Amino acid sequence: MRHLWGRVRPGLIATMPVLLLAAACASGLEAWRVARANGTIAALEAGTDAEVSPGAPPPVLAARVAFLAKRGRLDEAEPLLPGLEAGDDRADLARARYVLANARMRAAFGLLARGELDKAGPLVTLSRQDYRRALRERPDFWDAKFNLDVASRLIRDYPELNRTDGDELQSEPKKIWTDIPGQPRGGP
Amino acid sequence: MRVLAILFLILQTAAAAAQVRSVELRTPRSFGYVLGDLLQVRIDIALDPGSTVQRASLPKPGPVTYWLDLRDVAVERMAGGIRLRLTYQSFYAALDARRLEVPGFTVALASESPGGTTTAQAEIPPWSFGVSPLREVQPEKRDDPADYLQPDGRARRLDPQPAAMAALVLAGLGLLALGLLAYDRAWFGRRRGRPFALAARRLRRLAETDPDGYREALRLIHRGLDETDGRRLLADDLPAFLDRHPAFRPEGESLGRFFEASRRAFFGREVQAAREGWPWPELQAALRRLAAAERAA
Repeated sequence: MRHLWGRVRPGLIATMPVLLLAAACASGLEAWRVARANGTIAALEAGTDAEVSPGAPPPVLAARVAFLAKRGRLDEAEPLLPGLEAGDDRADLARARYVLANARMRAAFGLLARGELDKAGPLVTLSRQDYRRALRERPDFWDAKFNLDVASRLIRDYPELNRTDGDELQSEPKKIWTDIPGQPRGGP
Repeated sequence: MRVLAILFLILQTAAAAAQVRSVELRTPRSFGYVLGDLLQVRIDIALDPGSTVQRASLPKPGPVTYWLDLRDVAVERMAGGIRLRLTYQSFYAALDARRLEVPGFTVALASESPGGTTTAQAEIPPWSFGVSPLREVQPEKRDDPADYLQPDGRARRLDPQPAAMAALVLAGLGLLALGLLAYDRAWFGRRRGRPFALAARRLRRLAETDPDGYREALRLIHRGLDETDGRRLLADDLPAFLDRHPAFRPEGESLGRFFEASRRAFFGREVQAAREGWPWPELQAALRRLAAAERAA
Protein backbone atom coordinates (compact mmCIF):
# COMPACT_ATOMS: atom_id res chain seq x y z
CA MET A 1 0.00 0.00 0.00
CA ARG A 2 2.79 2.36 0.98
CA HIS A 3 4.68 1.32 -2.08
CA LEU A 4 1.71 2.08 -4.33
CA TRP A 5 1.22 5.48 -2.68
CA GLY A 6 4.89 6.20 -3.29
CA ARG A 7 4.46 5.50 -6.98
CA VAL A 8 1.20 7.41 -7.38
CA ARG A 9 2.14 10.45 -5.29
CA PRO A 10 4.54 12.33 -7.61
CA GLY A 11 2.11 12.16 -10.53
CA LEU A 12 -0.79 13.13 -8.31
CA ILE A 13 1.06 16.13 -6.89
CA ALA A 14 1.96 17.28 -10.41
CA THR A 15 -1.54 16.88 -11.93
CA MET A 16 -3.65 18.21 -9.04
CA PRO A 17 -2.78 21.92 -9.53
CA VAL A 18 -3.34 21.62 -13.29
CA LEU A 19 -6.74 19.97 -12.88
CA LEU A 20 -7.90 22.29 -10.10
CA LEU A 21 -6.81 25.44 -11.90
CA ALA A 22 -8.46 24.24 -15.12
CA ALA A 23 -11.70 23.59 -13.21
CA ALA A 24 -11.41 27.03 -11.62
CA CYS A 25 -11.03 28.60 -15.07
CA ALA A 26 -14.11 26.70 -16.32
CA SER A 27 -16.18 27.87 -13.34
CA GLY A 28 -14.96 31.42 -13.78
CA LEU A 29 -15.95 31.31 -17.44
CA GLU A 30 -19.39 30.00 -16.47
CA ALA A 31 -19.81 32.81 -13.91
CA TRP A 32 -18.80 35.33 -16.55
CA ARG A 33 -21.33 33.90 -19.03
CA VAL A 34 -24.08 34.04 -16.41
CA ALA A 35 -23.22 37.65 -15.59
CA ARG A 36 -23.27 38.49 -19.31
CA ALA A 37 -26.66 36.77 -19.72
CA ASN A 38 -28.01 38.90 -16.86
CA GLY A 39 -26.63 41.96 -18.63
CA THR A 40 -28.49 40.97 -21.80
CA ILE A 41 -31.73 40.49 -19.85
CA ALA A 42 -31.33 43.90 -18.21
CA ALA A 43 -30.67 45.51 -21.61
CA LEU A 44 -33.76 43.85 -23.15
CA GLU A 45 -35.93 44.96 -20.26
CA ALA A 46 -34.56 48.48 -20.53
CA GLY A 47 -35.71 48.52 -24.14
CA THR A 48 -32.43 48.00 -26.03
CA ASP A 49 -32.63 45.19 -28.53
CA ALA A 50 -29.91 42.58 -28.23
CA GLU A 51 -29.26 39.70 -30.57
CA VAL A 52 -30.09 36.40 -28.87
CA SER A 53 -29.13 33.04 -30.32
CA PRO A 54 -31.66 30.18 -30.08
CA GLY A 55 -29.24 28.32 -27.78
CA ALA A 56 -29.08 31.12 -25.20
CA PRO A 57 -30.00 30.42 -21.54
CA PRO A 58 -33.80 30.16 -21.00
CA PRO A 59 -34.18 33.42 -19.01
CA VAL A 60 -32.48 35.33 -21.85
CA LEU A 61 -34.83 33.74 -24.38
CA ALA A 62 -37.80 34.61 -22.17
CA ALA A 63 -36.58 38.21 -21.88
CA ARG A 64 -36.18 38.44 -25.66
CA VAL A 65 -39.70 37.03 -26.18
CA ALA A 66 -41.00 39.66 -23.74
CA PHE A 67 -39.10 42.39 -25.61
CA LEU A 68 -40.55 41.32 -28.98
CA ALA A 69 -44.04 40.75 -27.60
CA LYS A 70 -44.12 44.21 -26.04
CA ARG A 71 -43.45 45.68 -29.49
CA GLY A 72 -46.00 43.48 -31.21
CA ARG A 73 -43.37 41.50 -33.13
CA LEU A 74 -45.05 38.17 -32.37
CA ASP A 75 -43.85 36.52 -35.59
CA GLU A 76 -40.26 36.92 -34.42
CA ALA A 77 -41.02 35.78 -30.88
CA GLU A 78 -42.71 32.49 -31.77
CA PRO A 79 -39.57 30.77 -33.17
CA LEU A 80 -37.83 31.25 -29.80
CA LEU A 81 -40.34 29.06 -27.95
CA PRO A 82 -38.94 25.67 -29.07
CA GLY A 83 -35.62 26.63 -27.47
CA LEU A 84 -37.46 27.23 -24.21
CA GLU A 85 -39.45 24.03 -24.48
CA ALA A 86 -36.22 22.04 -24.72
CA GLY A 87 -34.99 23.45 -21.39
CA ASP A 88 -35.59 21.95 -17.98
CA ASP A 89 -36.81 25.09 -16.33
CA ARG A 90 -40.51 25.38 -17.11
CA ALA A 91 -40.91 28.72 -15.33
CA ASP A 92 -39.21 30.58 -18.18
CA LEU A 93 -41.40 28.84 -20.76
CA ALA A 94 -44.48 29.77 -18.71
CA ARG A 95 -43.29 33.39 -18.52
CA ALA A 96 -42.71 33.52 -22.30
CA ARG A 97 -46.17 32.10 -23.07
CA TYR A 98 -47.71 34.51 -20.59
CA VAL A 99 -46.16 37.62 -22.19
CA LEU A 100 -47.13 36.37 -25.66
CA ALA A 101 -50.72 35.93 -24.49
CA ASN A 102 -50.65 39.40 -22.91
CA ALA A 103 -49.47 40.90 -26.20
CA ARG A 104 -52.33 39.18 -28.07
CA MET A 105 -54.81 40.36 -25.47
CA ARG A 106 -53.66 43.97 -25.84
CA ALA A 107 -53.98 43.63 -29.62
CA ALA A 108 -57.47 42.16 -29.16
CA PHE A 109 -58.49 45.05 -26.89
CA GLY A 110 -57.32 47.45 -29.59
CA LEU A 111 -59.41 45.68 -32.20
CA LEU A 112 -62.45 45.54 -29.91
CA ALA A 113 -62.17 49.26 -29.26
CA ARG A 114 -62.38 49.78 -33.02
CA GLY A 115 -65.30 47.38 -33.25
CA GLU A 116 -63.48 44.70 -35.24
CA LEU A 117 -64.96 41.80 -33.32
CA ASP A 118 -64.27 39.13 -35.93
CA LYS A 119 -60.55 39.75 -35.82
CA ALA A 120 -60.40 40.03 -32.04
CA GLY A 121 -62.03 36.64 -31.39
CA PRO A 122 -59.20 34.41 -32.63
CA LEU A 123 -56.64 36.53 -30.79
CA VAL A 124 -58.47 36.09 -27.50
CA THR A 125 -58.75 32.35 -28.12
CA LEU A 126 -55.00 32.11 -28.81
CA SER A 127 -54.31 34.08 -25.66
CA ARG A 128 -56.43 31.73 -23.61
CA GLN A 129 -54.54 28.76 -25.02
CA ASP A 130 -51.23 30.36 -24.11
CA TYR A 131 -52.36 31.30 -20.59
CA ARG A 132 -53.54 27.75 -20.17
CA ARG A 133 -50.25 26.34 -21.39
CA ALA A 134 -48.39 28.70 -19.05
CA LEU A 135 -50.51 27.44 -16.15
CA ARG A 136 -49.87 23.86 -17.18
CA GLU A 137 -46.13 24.55 -16.87
CA ARG A 138 -46.52 26.51 -13.63
CA PRO A 139 -49.83 25.95 -11.82
CA ASP A 140 -49.05 28.65 -9.22
CA PHE A 141 -48.58 31.41 -11.82
CA TRP A 142 -51.11 33.84 -10.33
CA ASP A 143 -50.74 36.58 -12.94
CA ALA A 144 -51.56 34.02 -15.62
CA LYS A 145 -54.61 32.86 -13.65
CA PHE A 146 -55.83 36.41 -13.38
CA ASN A 147 -55.36 37.21 -17.05
CA LEU A 148 -56.87 33.89 -18.13
CA ASP A 149 -59.90 34.89 -16.09
CA VAL A 150 -60.04 38.24 -17.93
CA ALA A 151 -59.72 36.49 -21.31
CA SER A 152 -62.29 33.86 -20.35
CA ARG A 153 -64.85 36.52 -19.58
CA LEU A 154 -64.39 37.97 -23.04
CA ILE A 155 -65.08 34.65 -24.70
CA ARG A 156 -66.63 31.92 -22.63
CA ASP A 157 -66.79 28.22 -23.32
CA TYR A 158 -70.26 26.88 -23.66
CA PRO A 159 -70.85 23.37 -22.43
CA GLU A 160 -73.86 23.06 -24.71
CA LEU A 161 -71.55 23.19 -27.71
CA ASN A 162 -70.75 19.66 -26.63
CA ARG A 163 -67.09 20.23 -26.39
CA THR A 164 -65.18 17.44 -24.79
CA ASP A 165 -61.68 18.80 -25.15
CA GLY A 166 -59.72 21.68 -23.79
CA ASP A 167 -58.42 24.68 -25.63
CA GLU A 168 -55.69 22.61 -27.20
CA LEU A 169 -57.87 21.49 -30.08
CA GLN A 170 -59.57 23.63 -32.66
CA SER A 171 -61.82 26.41 -31.53
CA GLU A 172 -65.45 26.81 -32.45
CA PRO A 173 -66.98 30.16 -33.29
CA LYS A 174 -67.19 32.12 -30.09
CA LYS A 175 -69.50 34.75 -28.90
CA ILE A 176 -68.02 38.03 -27.87
CA TRP A 177 -69.69 40.42 -25.54
CA THR A 178 -69.48 43.79 -27.08
CA ASP A 179 -69.66 45.77 -23.89
CA ILE A 180 -66.44 44.45 -22.46
CA PRO A 181 -65.25 44.80 -19.90
CA GLY A 182 -68.38 45.21 -17.95
CA GLN A 183 -71.24 43.20 -16.68
CA PRO A 184 -71.42 40.10 -18.83
CA ARG A 185 -74.80 39.34 -20.25
CA GLY A 186 -75.81 35.71 -20.20
CA GLY A 187 -73.17 33.08 -20.03
CA PRO A 188 -73.30 29.87 -18.09
CA MET B 1 -73.23 -31.88 -15.68
CA ARG B 2 -75.49 -28.88 -16.03
CA VAL B 3 -75.68 -28.44 -12.27
CA LEU B 4 -71.93 -28.44 -12.07
CA ALA B 5 -71.66 -25.82 -14.77
CA ILE B 6 -74.15 -23.49 -13.06
CA LEU B 7 -72.35 -23.92 -9.77
CA PHE B 8 -69.10 -22.97 -11.47
CA LEU B 9 -70.68 -19.84 -12.88
CA ILE B 10 -72.01 -18.83 -9.48
CA LEU B 11 -68.65 -19.40 -7.88
CA GLN B 12 -66.99 -17.34 -10.56
CA THR B 13 -69.29 -14.36 -10.16
CA ALA B 14 -68.94 -14.63 -6.40
CA ALA B 15 -65.17 -14.62 -6.77
CA ALA B 16 -65.25 -11.66 -9.12
CA ALA B 17 -67.55 -9.67 -6.89
CA ALA B 18 -65.36 -10.38 -3.93
CA GLN B 19 -62.28 -8.87 -5.55
CA VAL B 20 -63.22 -5.27 -4.86
CA ARG B 21 -64.09 -4.67 -1.24
CA SER B 22 -64.39 -0.91 -1.10
CA VAL B 23 -63.52 2.27 -2.99
CA GLU B 24 -62.62 5.37 -1.02
CA LEU B 25 -62.03 8.75 -2.63
CA ARG B 26 -60.30 11.63 -0.87
CA THR B 27 -59.29 15.16 -1.75
CA PRO B 28 -57.40 17.60 0.52
CA ARG B 29 -60.38 19.97 0.26
CA SER B 30 -63.49 19.93 -1.88
CA PHE B 31 -64.08 23.67 -2.28
CA GLY B 32 -62.33 26.95 -2.99
CA TYR B 33 -60.54 26.10 -6.21
CA VAL B 34 -59.79 28.90 -8.69
CA LEU B 35 -58.82 28.40 -12.29
CA GLY B 36 -55.42 26.81 -12.82
CA ASP B 37 -55.44 25.09 -9.42
CA LEU B 38 -54.34 21.49 -9.09
CA LEU B 39 -56.69 18.95 -7.56
CA GLN B 40 -55.02 16.01 -5.88
CA VAL B 41 -57.31 13.02 -5.58
CA ARG B 42 -56.44 9.88 -3.68
CA ILE B 43 -58.49 6.79 -4.42
CA ASP B 44 -57.98 3.78 -2.18
CA ILE B 45 -59.35 0.54 -3.63
CA ALA B 46 -59.41 -2.33 -1.15
CA LEU B 47 -58.88 -5.60 -2.98
CA ASP B 48 -58.68 -9.29 -2.26
CA PRO B 49 -55.13 -10.56 -2.10
CA GLY B 50 -53.73 -11.47 -5.51
CA SER B 51 -55.71 -8.91 -7.47
CA THR B 52 -53.90 -6.44 -9.66
CA VAL B 53 -55.07 -3.40 -11.56
CA GLN B 54 -54.94 -3.49 -15.34
CA ARG B 55 -53.01 -0.41 -16.25
CA ALA B 56 -54.60 -0.08 -19.66
CA SER B 57 -57.95 0.57 -17.98
CA LEU B 58 -56.67 3.60 -16.04
CA PRO B 59 -57.63 7.02 -17.36
CA LYS B 60 -55.03 8.60 -19.63
CA PRO B 61 -53.55 12.00 -18.79
CA GLY B 62 -55.10 14.63 -21.05
CA PRO B 63 -58.24 16.76 -21.30
CA VAL B 64 -61.25 15.33 -19.45
CA THR B 65 -63.70 18.10 -20.32
CA TYR B 66 -63.12 21.53 -21.76
CA TRP B 67 -62.39 22.95 -18.30
CA LEU B 68 -60.58 20.03 -16.72
CA ASP B 69 -57.26 18.33 -17.53
CA LEU B 70 -55.95 15.13 -16.02
CA ARG B 71 -52.24 15.73 -15.54
CA ASP B 72 -50.92 12.68 -13.82
CA VAL B 73 -51.96 9.14 -12.81
CA ALA B 74 -49.90 7.12 -10.37
CA VAL B 75 -50.62 3.67 -8.94
CA GLU B 76 -49.18 2.54 -5.62
CA ARG B 77 -49.45 -0.82 -3.93
CA MET B 78 -50.54 -0.70 -0.33
CA ALA B 79 -51.60 -3.18 2.28
CA GLY B 80 -54.93 -4.68 1.27
CA GLY B 81 -55.29 -3.00 -2.11
CA ILE B 82 -54.05 -0.26 -4.36
CA ARG B 83 -53.97 3.51 -4.19
CA LEU B 84 -54.50 5.72 -7.24
CA ARG B 85 -53.17 9.25 -7.12
CA LEU B 86 -54.77 11.46 -9.74
CA THR B 87 -53.77 15.07 -10.35
CA TYR B 88 -56.33 17.19 -12.16
CA GLN B 89 -56.05 20.83 -13.16
CA SER B 90 -59.19 22.94 -13.31
CA PHE B 91 -59.49 25.76 -15.81
CA TYR B 92 -63.03 26.76 -14.97
CA ALA B 93 -63.27 30.56 -14.94
CA ALA B 94 -66.04 30.88 -12.37
CA LEU B 95 -68.24 33.95 -12.03
CA ASP B 96 -69.71 32.67 -8.80
CA ALA B 97 -68.91 29.89 -6.35
CA ARG B 98 -70.39 26.67 -7.64
CA ARG B 99 -69.87 22.94 -7.60
CA LEU B 100 -68.62 21.04 -10.61
CA GLU B 101 -68.83 17.33 -11.14
CA VAL B 102 -65.88 15.27 -12.29
CA PRO B 103 -66.99 12.14 -14.17
CA GLY B 104 -66.23 8.75 -12.69
CA PHE B 105 -64.55 5.88 -14.45
CA THR B 106 -64.08 2.14 -14.12
CA VAL B 107 -60.85 0.33 -13.44
CA ALA B 108 -60.40 -3.24 -14.60
CA LEU B 109 -58.87 -5.64 -12.11
CA ALA B 110 -57.40 -9.05 -12.74
CA SER B 111 -56.79 -11.87 -10.33
CA GLU B 112 -54.57 -14.85 -11.08
CA SER B 113 -55.92 -18.10 -9.65
CA PRO B 114 -55.06 -21.74 -10.40
CA GLY B 115 -58.25 -22.00 -12.44
CA GLY B 116 -57.29 -19.08 -14.67
CA THR B 117 -57.54 -15.30 -14.65
CA THR B 118 -60.68 -13.68 -13.33
CA THR B 119 -61.43 -10.04 -13.97
CA ALA B 120 -63.57 -7.53 -12.14
CA GLN B 121 -64.45 -3.87 -12.43
CA ALA B 122 -64.02 -1.24 -9.76
CA GLU B 123 -66.43 1.65 -10.24
CA ILE B 124 -64.91 5.00 -9.27
CA PRO B 125 -67.95 7.21 -8.62
CA PRO B 126 -68.28 10.75 -9.96
CA TRP B 127 -67.22 13.37 -7.45
CA SER B 128 -67.52 17.11 -7.21
CA PHE B 129 -65.51 20.08 -6.04
CA GLY B 130 -66.29 23.74 -5.48
CA VAL B 131 -64.84 26.43 -7.71
CA SER B 132 -64.61 30.06 -6.67
CA PRO B 133 -64.25 33.23 -8.73
CA LEU B 134 -60.86 34.86 -8.85
CA ARG B 135 -62.00 38.43 -9.52
CA GLU B 136 -65.00 40.58 -8.82
CA VAL B 137 -67.78 40.27 -11.39
CA GLN B 138 -67.70 43.98 -12.15
CA PRO B 139 -64.18 45.35 -11.88
CA GLU B 140 -63.45 49.02 -11.35
CA LYS B 141 -63.78 51.05 -14.52
CA ARG B 142 -60.54 51.61 -16.42
CA ASP B 143 -59.94 53.86 -19.39
CA ASP B 144 -57.61 51.52 -21.20
CA PRO B 145 -59.05 47.98 -21.29
CA ALA B 146 -55.49 46.59 -21.33
CA ASP B 147 -55.18 47.82 -17.74
CA TYR B 148 -57.51 45.01 -16.70
CA LEU B 149 -54.61 42.64 -17.37
CA GLN B 150 -51.79 41.93 -14.99
CA PRO B 151 -48.48 43.38 -16.28
CA ASP B 152 -45.86 41.32 -18.10
CA GLY B 153 -43.52 41.22 -15.13
CA ARG B 154 -39.78 40.74 -15.11
CA ALA B 155 -37.86 37.84 -16.56
CA ARG B 156 -36.02 35.65 -14.12
CA ARG B 157 -32.35 36.50 -13.54
CA LEU B 158 -29.66 33.86 -13.39
CA ASP B 159 -27.58 33.59 -10.26
CA PRO B 160 -23.84 33.90 -10.93
CA GLN B 161 -23.03 33.36 -7.25
CA PRO B 162 -22.59 29.54 -7.25
CA ALA B 163 -20.30 29.50 -10.29
CA ALA B 164 -18.24 32.42 -8.96
CA MET B 165 -18.00 30.76 -5.56
CA ALA B 166 -16.91 27.47 -7.15
CA ALA B 167 -14.30 29.31 -9.23
CA LEU B 168 -12.88 31.00 -6.12
CA VAL B 169 -12.78 27.81 -4.09
CA LEU B 170 -11.23 25.84 -6.95
CA ALA B 171 -8.67 28.57 -7.59
CA GLY B 172 -7.76 28.55 -3.89
CA LEU B 173 -7.40 24.79 -3.88
CA GLY B 174 -5.41 24.96 -7.10
CA LEU B 175 -2.98 27.49 -5.65
CA LEU B 176 -2.69 25.35 -2.55
CA ALA B 177 -1.89 22.32 -4.70
CA LEU B 178 0.58 24.42 -6.67
CA GLY B 179 2.27 25.41 -3.41
CA LEU B 180 2.39 21.77 -2.41
CA LEU B 181 3.99 20.91 -5.76
CA ALA B 182 6.54 23.73 -5.37
CA TYR B 183 7.40 22.49 -1.89
CA ASP B 184 7.53 18.90 -3.09
CA ARG B 185 9.92 19.73 -5.93
CA ALA B 186 11.87 22.24 -3.79
CA TRP B 187 11.39 24.99 -6.38
CA PHE B 188 12.10 27.77 -3.92
CA GLY B 189 15.22 26.65 -2.09
CA ARG B 190 15.94 23.55 -0.11
CA ARG B 191 13.38 21.57 1.75
CA ARG B 192 14.11 19.24 4.56
CA GLY B 193 14.52 15.70 3.52
CA ARG B 194 15.06 16.46 -0.17
CA PRO B 195 18.85 16.77 -0.48
CA PHE B 196 19.00 15.09 -3.90
CA ALA B 197 16.47 17.50 -5.36
CA LEU B 198 18.66 20.33 -4.15
CA ALA B 199 21.76 18.64 -5.52
CA ALA B 200 20.08 18.14 -8.89
CA ARG B 201 19.20 21.83 -8.98
CA ARG B 202 22.76 22.85 -8.16
CA LEU B 203 24.17 20.41 -10.70
CA ARG B 204 22.31 22.27 -13.44
CA ARG B 205 24.35 25.36 -12.64
CA LEU B 206 27.67 23.54 -12.87
CA ALA B 207 29.60 23.73 -16.15
CA GLU B 208 30.35 20.37 -17.63
CA THR B 209 33.67 21.51 -19.09
CA ASP B 210 35.00 23.02 -15.88
CA PRO B 211 37.64 20.63 -14.47
CA ASP B 212 36.49 21.39 -10.94
CA GLY B 213 32.90 20.86 -12.04
CA TYR B 214 33.13 17.12 -11.98
CA ARG B 215 34.59 17.04 -8.51
CA GLU B 216 31.97 19.51 -7.34
CA ALA B 217 29.26 17.29 -8.80
CA LEU B 218 30.61 14.29 -6.95
CA ARG B 219 30.71 16.38 -3.79
CA LEU B 220 27.06 17.27 -4.31
CA ILE B 221 26.08 13.60 -4.46
CA HIS B 222 28.20 12.91 -1.38
CA ARG B 223 26.40 15.64 0.50
CA GLY B 224 23.07 14.33 -0.70
CA LEU B 225 23.86 10.85 0.53
CA ASP B 226 25.15 12.18 3.85
CA GLU B 227 22.08 14.24 4.45
CA THR B 228 19.74 11.47 3.41
CA ASP B 229 21.34 9.11 5.85
CA GLY B 230 22.06 11.66 8.56
CA ARG B 231 25.69 10.58 8.81
CA ARG B 232 28.83 10.55 6.72
CA LEU B 233 28.54 7.77 4.19
CA LEU B 234 31.55 5.89 2.83
CA ALA B 235 31.76 3.31 0.07
CA ASP B 236 31.70 0.42 2.53
CA ASP B 237 28.47 1.66 4.08
CA LEU B 238 26.56 1.39 0.79
CA PRO B 239 24.83 -2.01 1.40
CA ALA B 240 23.76 -0.88 4.88
CA PHE B 241 22.51 2.42 3.40
CA LEU B 242 20.43 0.58 0.80
CA ASP B 243 18.94 -1.54 3.58
CA ARG B 244 17.99 1.54 5.55
CA HIS B 245 16.59 3.35 2.46
CA PRO B 246 15.02 0.73 0.21
CA ALA B 247 13.72 3.42 -2.16
CA PHE B 248 17.25 3.84 -3.50
CA ARG B 249 17.84 0.13 -4.03
CA PRO B 250 17.33 0.35 -7.85
CA GLU B 251 20.15 2.90 -7.87
CA GLY B 252 22.57 0.56 -6.06
CA GLU B 253 24.63 -0.08 -9.19
CA SER B 254 24.88 3.64 -10.05
CA LEU B 255 25.90 4.42 -6.49
CA GLY B 256 28.60 1.76 -6.67
CA ARG B 257 30.02 3.43 -9.76
CA PHE B 258 29.72 6.79 -8.04
CA PHE B 259 31.84 5.65 -5.10
CA GLU B 260 34.38 4.19 -7.53
CA ALA B 261 34.59 7.50 -9.41
CA SER B 262 34.75 9.42 -6.14
CA ARG B 263 37.61 7.28 -4.87
CA ARG B 264 39.57 7.89 -8.05
CA ALA B 265 38.83 11.61 -8.19
CA PHE B 266 39.50 12.51 -4.57
CA PHE B 267 42.03 9.97 -3.35
CA GLY B 268 43.74 8.92 -6.56
CA ARG B 269 43.71 12.40 -8.05
CA GLU B 270 42.68 10.85 -11.37
CA VAL B 271 39.78 13.10 -12.27
CA GLN B 272 40.08 12.34 -15.96
CA ALA B 273 40.06 8.58 -15.39
CA ALA B 274 37.14 8.91 -13.05
CA ARG B 275 35.33 10.92 -15.65
CA GLU B 276 35.92 8.26 -18.27
CA GLY B 277 34.73 5.54 -15.90
CA TRP B 278 31.50 7.39 -15.05
CA PRO B 279 30.81 10.08 -17.68
CA TRP B 280 29.00 13.34 -16.99
CA PRO B 281 25.68 12.44 -18.73
CA GLU B 282 25.46 9.27 -16.63
CA LEU B 283 26.16 11.27 -13.51
CA GLN B 284 23.41 13.71 -14.42
CA ALA B 285 20.95 10.91 -15.16
CA ALA B 286 21.82 9.11 -11.95
CA LEU B 287 21.28 12.22 -9.86
CA ARG B 288 17.92 12.83 -11.58
CA ARG B 289 16.90 9.25 -10.80
CA LEU B 290 18.05 9.66 -7.19
CA ALA B 291 15.92 12.83 -6.87
CA ALA B 292 12.94 10.95 -8.34
CA ALA B 293 13.44 8.02 -5.99
CA GLU B 294 13.65 10.49 -3.12
CA ARG B 295 10.29 12.02 -4.12
CA ALA B 296 8.66 8.61 -4.33
CA ALA B 297 10.11 7.52 -0.96
